[in-house]
Amino acid sequence: MFATPQIVAFGGGGFSMERDSSLLDDYVLALTGAIRPRVCFLPTASGDADHYIVRFYRRFAAACDASHVSLFRRDQGVDGVEDDLESHLLAQDLVYVGGGNVVSMLGAWRAHNIDAILRKAWRRGIVLCGPSAGSLCWFQEALSAFHGAPRRVRGLGFLPYSNCVHYDAEPARRAEYRRFVAAGMLGGFAAEDGVALHFRGTHFARAVSSRPDACAYSIECARGEVLEQRLAVVYLGGERSARGASVAA
Amino acid sequence: MSGARPLAERAIFAMGGGGFTMEPANPLLDDYVLGLARVPRPRVLFLPTASGDTLEQMNAFRARFAGRACTAEQLSLFRLHGARRSLEEIVLSQDVIYVGGGSMRNMLAIWKAHALDAMLIEAWRRGTVLAGLSAGAMCWFEGGVTRSAGPPESIAGMGLLSGSLTVHANGEPERLPVWLASVREGTLAGGWALDDGVGLLFAGRTLRAAVSSRPGAGAERVDAVGGELVRRRLDVELLGAGEPSRGAFRRVDEAVEELRLVQRLRAGVSAERDS
Repeated sequence: MFATPQIVAFGGGGFSMERDSSLLDDYVLALTGAIRPRVCFLPTASGDADHYIVRFYRRFAAACDASHVSLFRRDQGVDGVEDDLESHLLAQDLVYVGGGNVVSMLGAWRAHNIDAILRKAWRRGIVLCGPSAGSLCWFQEALSAFHGAPRRVRGLGFLPYSNCVHYDAEPARRAEYRRFVAAGMLGGFAAEDGVALHFRGTHFARAVSSRPDACAYSIECARGEVLEQRLAVVYLGGERSARGASVAA
Repeated sequence: MSGARPLAERAIFAMGGGGFTMEPANPLLDDYVLGLARVPRPRVLFLPTASGDTLEQMNAFRARFAGRACTAEQLSLFRLHGARRSLEEIVLSQDVIYVGGGSMRNMLAIWKAHALDAMLIEAWRRGTVLAGLSAGAMCWFEGGVTRSAGPPESIAGMGLLSGSLTVHANGEPERLPVWLASVREGTLAGGWALDDGVGLLFAGRTLRAAVSSRPGAGAERVDAVGGELVRRRLDVELLGAGEPSRGAFRRVDEAVEELRLVQRLRAGVSAERDS
């Protein structure tokens, strides 16, 4: 019997974005229930950028059995996991997906069968998390604004919703997401930097944050009208509820 | 300039290894590529996708082409932030598109995810010179041999050119036997094996010239005939003075140094725990 599948999707934040706060990373580590969690980092969306991999180890190597999978250096045998990707990933407590370009990441994953392996990992209760591209990828649809005009991108579809990250980063983002949902994009969840959406199975469980004033929203379209609802967000720096009383889904 | 002339037909220049990422002190192949463009000051676009858009490759491209008679530009599919033009606008406005080496499997999958493969074919149709080394050379053929997953294995390419290609025939000796076996079995079509430093120029789909940046670097054509391999050396024209250039380009930056340090520390930690 496997544990409940869990995904924690960061609107932004974690070790790659927040120098002084490890609240979101601590939250996902605690979900594993392991004393010394096995944590594997997938930096694919950055093109396996060395500086990003270094920051991952800096953050996790002391308290975890940390490793990473590089899909660009598999011929060199000098770092990361060289042999059996599947057995390595399925032996983890947490798979941490880095930010970057979600389209490039999903393309490279398909070429190495990572998408199927991650689905298996998720079903087995290995916690999946990540910011930005590492959030968008788990959903059926995502709003990608990485390059040029924002567009709809198809994700892995583990979570039957749409997702929009960095919701506070650009003023136009909110209008774009609402426009896409009005035009037929699946309803879903928008998260600001510092907010993590925690899903148990495919159900939204709660939103937590590393910043006292960060927000998250659920967006849906009913009878041609787009409804945006602010979600209750639990601030992890004291476990007191941040703004947005009790409007949880 | 090293004897290259623009072609009336569509042009592809496929290198077995060489150019700015592998021969920082030897510009012969890169100057040959510029000479294939139809205009005196070509727009040159570099695609470092196969490497994951490493700074090493991008810096090497800048170092090589910044001072030359061209307008040099790079397209990173991992660092697109801030780019205002669409991919199509960028790709279809070039005279030369130069593709770097690395993981052919990743590169083709990422191009497909962005629909860049179709844009490159369209650019070729419109007369843009396509050039590249290693993964960036094999991709134009029906197939090649990649080490994207570690050990060498055959892989399908985009098929703009008929036949298959294998690269680094002298630099990575484990690759050639896999290719020869694939050609013999028929998994890959017959084709060409290139040493580092050798480039093949195709006019349309026809081989027009074989040139090299290094004395002694060679190329051969291999076909399976009745289950047996027929191998034939090509005549290769040595470009310029042909100064030999050995040793891959390596610029280790701080992040890589720190990564190695972390790995040594990790190795130490796990050894300690295991004992």
